[in-house]
Amino acid sequence: MEADRRFLLLCGGEVLVVAAGNILAALVLQVIVLAAFLEDRRGYWVLVPAAVLYAAAIAASGHVLLTLLGLAAALGCGYLVLTLYDYRLTLWAGERA
Amino acid sequence: MIRPTRTTGGIAALALALTATALLLDNPAAALAAGSLCLFLFWRAWHFDRDFRTAAASLAVEREVDRVILRQGAEAHVRLTVDLAIPHGMEVRLRDVPPAVAAGEAPFCEPGRTAAYTIRLLAHGRTAFGGIVLSARDAYFSSDLLVRRFSAPSLRIFPVGTAEASGEKRAGISNTEVDRRSALEGPSVRGFRRYQVGDGLGRIDWKVSARRGALYVREMTGLESGIPLLVVDLPMRQENGPEFSERYTMVVCDAVERAMESREGCSLLIITGGEILRFLPWTENLREVLSALGEVAPAEPRVSLYRAPGPAVLAARARLRGGDGGREGTYLARLGGVLAAFAAESRSPFGAAVGKALDRVEATEVHLYTPLVRGDRSHLAQVTHQAKIRGMQVVLRAPAGWPVVIPGVDIMEVI
Repeated sequence: MEADRRFLLLCGGEVLVVAAGNILAALVLQVIVLAAFLEDRRGYWVLVPAAVLYAAAIAASGHVLLTLLGLAAALGCGYLVLTLYDYRLTLWAGERA
Repeated sequence: MIRPTRTTGGIAALALALTATALLLDNPAAALAAGSLCLFLFWRAWHFDRDFRTAAASLAVEREVDRVILRQGAEAHVRLTVDLAIPHGMEVRLRDVPPAVAAGEAPFCEPGRTAAYTIRLLAHGRTAFGGIVLSARDAYFSSDLLVRRFSAPSLRIFPVGTAEASGEKRAGISNTEVDRRSALEGPSVRGFRRYQVGDGLGRIDWKVSARRGALYVREMTGLESGIPLLVVDLPMRQENGPEFSERYTMVVCDAVERAMESREGCSLLIITGGEILRFLPWTENLREVLSALGEVAPAEPRVSLYRAPGPAVLAARARLRGGDGGREGTYLARLGGVLAAFAAESRSPFGAAVGKALDRVEATEVHLYTPLVRGDRSHLAQVTHQAKIRGMQVVLRAPAGWPVVIPGVDIMEVI
């Protein structure tokens, strides 16, 4: 299937990213691999600065665990915001006309 | 809440594996790959959530039900049309949520197309639709949302009556036969069939039921044979209020539905006073009949036949006698003689129009529905007269409290 083939390509691309060794090369490869994985690239430019920022944080701190924990915290906050939006949508939908 | 698809699960597993690699090997590139994949998933979730909210906000629902007032156990046909703006890359499906007391499953509906389905209302009272379920998915996430704000129209379901069992003589209209008062030519029993929800308790044959161990009802020849013409006399605007009109409409719609089910078609004549509003000589389309009934509202009759009675009414008046004697009796006898002399010469355009309508339908029975308890009933007498001279059987269905037996009516039932 098309989705499975794309996913296998993504896995192969990630192996390349890990094998790159250099953080800058890894960043460039990662952006290319994700762009190739996507069918619809509208709005993709939002993701690229976030990835660059994260790569800069890794390079600056030089500590893998701390940056991963920081990212997890940030994503957790984002998840809470999404949940809040979802809750508001459910309340709106539950109102009787 | 949004749910991940299989692709998203695979990407998450890949990110987890890369995280483990990054921690075990202390590899910044693996940490970058893992973090980027997590950021990617979060970005897609954000994207999906925004598109889903946009689609939900643009939802427009048009739901049509052929009848909003119906009897418990009756079927209602629903047509649903939903429009919404579908964001790029998103698949959307919609499903109607029938009332909680309804039996029947609504199919999935494509946006912009009309879905039709049938439900059966099992409990009485007021009820409404549960809303619309909006199901959306893209390559990474899916979500369902029940939008309750699209619950119109509300339905009103009347219970299957048990007035006979309770022994009450209620004023107004109920939806069952509770009192067959007279039959000039009494209908005979054509057969028996198993009791169904909605059958009048008075039709249960207790002896047959006891012998067979299950409830059986009698089927009368006068009620079930032949093709009927349904003649519906509309209620007057000021008469008994909207509640009365709603119940009357429900009774008539129920009769139409039964006629269509049992004979796969019927003829319909809608009158008000001495005026014909609609005439459907023969139709097999239930929606057309219900639409015709729905379009006509209670109105003040523009034509009264009291002063243009026609031969039938004059003949009926001529048969009046004023007792055994005395001056009043003599007067009435002379009046009857005069009326009888003029009866044959009297002309009635309404009666002639009804006669032409009866000639067009191949009916053997006329089921005459009227909400009138008081007032001028000349038009009913003319309809009955026209039916009788064509050899049709006339079944009059009227509310309790009907004071006068119209000459020519074979069976009278309380509705």
